[in-house]
Amino acid sequence: MTGDRHPRYAEILRRNNVKMFGRGTQPMLFAHGFGCDQNMWRFITPDFQDEYRIVLFDYVGAGGSDVKAYDAERYGTLEGYARDILDVVEALELDDIIFVGHSVSSMIGVLAANQQPGRFERLILIGPSPRYINESPYVGGFERADIEGLLDMMDRNFIGWANFLAPAIMKNDDRPELGEELTASFCSTDPIIARNFAEATFLADNRADLTRVSVPSLLLQCSDDMVAPQEVGEYLHREMPGSTLRVMRATGHCPHMSDPDETVMLIKEYLASPATA
Amino acid sequence: MDEQLDLAPCGFVSFGDDGGMLAVNATLTGRLGYDRDELIGRHVETILAVGSRIFYQTHLFPLVRLHGKAEEIFMLLRGKDGEQIGVLCNAVRRPRGSGHVTDCVLMEVRERRKFEDALLQAKQEAESAHQALQSRTAELERANRQLESQSLELELQQQHLEDQASELTIQGEALQTLNDELVRRGEELERQRVAANEANQGKSMFLAVMSHELRTPLNAIGGYVQLLEMGVHGSVTDAQREALGRIDRSQRHLLRLINDLLNLSRIEVGRVHYTVESVGLAGLVANVMPMVEPQIAARGLLAEISVPPAAIARVDPEKVEQILLNLLSNAVKFTGAGGSVVVTGGNDPSSETLVYIRVSDTGLGIPSAFLERIFEPFIQVDDSATRSSEGTGLGLAISRDLARGMGGDLTAESELGRGSAFTLTLPRDVDY
Repeated sequence: MTGDRHPRYAEILRRNNVKMFGRGTQPMLFAHGFGCDQNMWRFITPDFQDEYRIVLFDYVGAGGSDVKAYDAERYGTLEGYARDILDVVEALELDDIIFVGHSVSSMIGVLAANQQPGRFERLILIGPSPRYINESPYVGGFERADIEGLLDMMDRNFIGWANFLAPAIMKNDDRPELGEELTASFCSTDPIIARNFAEATFLADNRADLTRVSVPSLLLQCSDDMVAPQEVGEYLHREMPGSTLRVMRATGHCPHMSDPDETVMLIKEYLASPATA
Repeated sequence: MDEQLDLAPCGFVSFGDDGGMLAVNATLTGRLGYDRDELIGRHVETILAVGSRIFYQTHLFPLVRLHGKAEEIFMLLRGKDGEQIGVLCNAVRRPRGSGHVTDCVLMEVRERRKFEDALLQAKQEAESAHQALQSRTAELERANRQLESQSLELELQQQHLEDQASELTIQGEALQTLNDELVRRGEELERQRVAANEANQGKSMFLAVMSHELRTPLNAIGGYVQLLEMGVHGSVTDAQREALGRIDRSQRHLLRLINDLLNLSRIEVGRVHYTVESVGLAGLVANVMPMVEPQIAARGLLAEISVPPAAIARVDPEKVEQILLNLLSNAVKFTGAGGSVVVTGGNDPSSETLVYIRVSDTGLGIPSAFLERIFEPFIQVDDSATRSSEGTGLGLAISRDLARGMGGDLTAESELGRGSAFTLTLPRDVDY
């Protein structure tokens, strides 16, 4: 880094709790999904940090981000979250990016790449879905009542102030022991923000954005993922130009946490192939 | 599994990282309505309501995976018959065998759920009250902004009106200045008029004096011509007599001109005196007619007089005769051979207080452009037919002044080529 940093460099680093490490030069930008923060990537980043420059961040409202920067209007749709990605990309002046997005971050990454396709080399999308609610003949996996059940669940857990959902307390730079205590509280999130994020995520419809994607992509589809069923992965593969679909042995919605080895292997395999759409 | 767990008053389930259930206690299977064999090996989502499945995938699993444990998480279970059962869940993930196992204790919440429902409802009500308050606040803010902009608009309008008022004030001042100037000019004109009047009176005075001075030598000329004609200074030859006749005619002509000038001057100076008496119009006409009869006869004109003896005026008879002589002389002068001169008179049909005498002729007539100006001093209709006519051009001006001086008037009508008519009105003797 030189003295000619982007004017928002420090601001964005602080706001989105950006972490950078690794011995490579090509950036691998990891975007966490709904319900967690950048800690979710800790099981697979060790396998990439020798060859790439790892960039982690938290969306505003999640993890160690600056909750004060939250703007309900901006983050009312996924476009606002895509702006967070582009803010990080611009502030760090990232190019030839390998973007890795989980769950809702897959679509947020698609929106960001559609805005600035020149910055992105590849998209790796884990458990992606452009639309969660069924809309015949489209199968998203959920009825609207199911999503309302989730929101109700979240409301109840916020009443109980379960420790893992406790809001992120302000960062205290002159008291590092507090910071350590906070990093131990994984997946912390502000309850109001989490609820808004849930609505933005599960009520979104990004199907129309898929055909405009010009960056080559890898779709990692889990077996038996109730959040993003197999039909959704197949739909994405049909609609997105230059996409590669891999159905994983791993089940559930978080293969990078439940089966990091398979996840790393498939990503490396993909990165070893030529990056052509 | 430890059989003691089946005796616990709460549910127990353990599952691997892939979600596959490894153990379930009897309390849980009984509550859900499943046999244990139906659950072992199946994914833990099987016993979760749909919302809880998402919550498990997006929250609970990542948390337990990262943190190793979770406490007091509310979840909705789904029984075999579809019944939804609220539970509080404590979970611990730890290594076992070749992998990791998550042990999960589930405690059904019934009473607590009612409290939570009440709390949730209160929270939602508070939220909607807050939203209503916010929207009311926004409404008030909008109204306030509107009032502010209206106020601004009013200020602008007031400013505009003030601008117009000051513009009007400026225009008013300009008009006042203009008015002052007009008043000043009016006063100036009045001063000039007074000065001109004074100058005119001075001129008239001069003319009166001069006319008087001129008449004395002219009378002397006339007197001596008569003496010569009478042969007082010796016998007169025919040629001398003819020359004396011409001198005499010229002297008379000059004298008449000077008399006219003298009359006008006197009128303008206001020195004319009227000796008013009751006079019959017919007598006045009869007195004047002999003075023009020679010319009427000489020109072969027809004269008609029709003035009833009952018409009586209150006038200075000498002045009226002077006017009538002027009118008759003009009529005769401008009427060609074979024409006629008509004199009518009587009480004025349009007035209780006036009588009239009208002198009409069948002469040349007066162009309409001139009709208005014939009463001005020194005006004569200038064309070939009148150039030879004698006179000062003061006759009509003097006549009108005299008529007005007695309370009457003199007016003219004419049609070019058909003749003219002059109407003299005079005060009627109402007592008569």
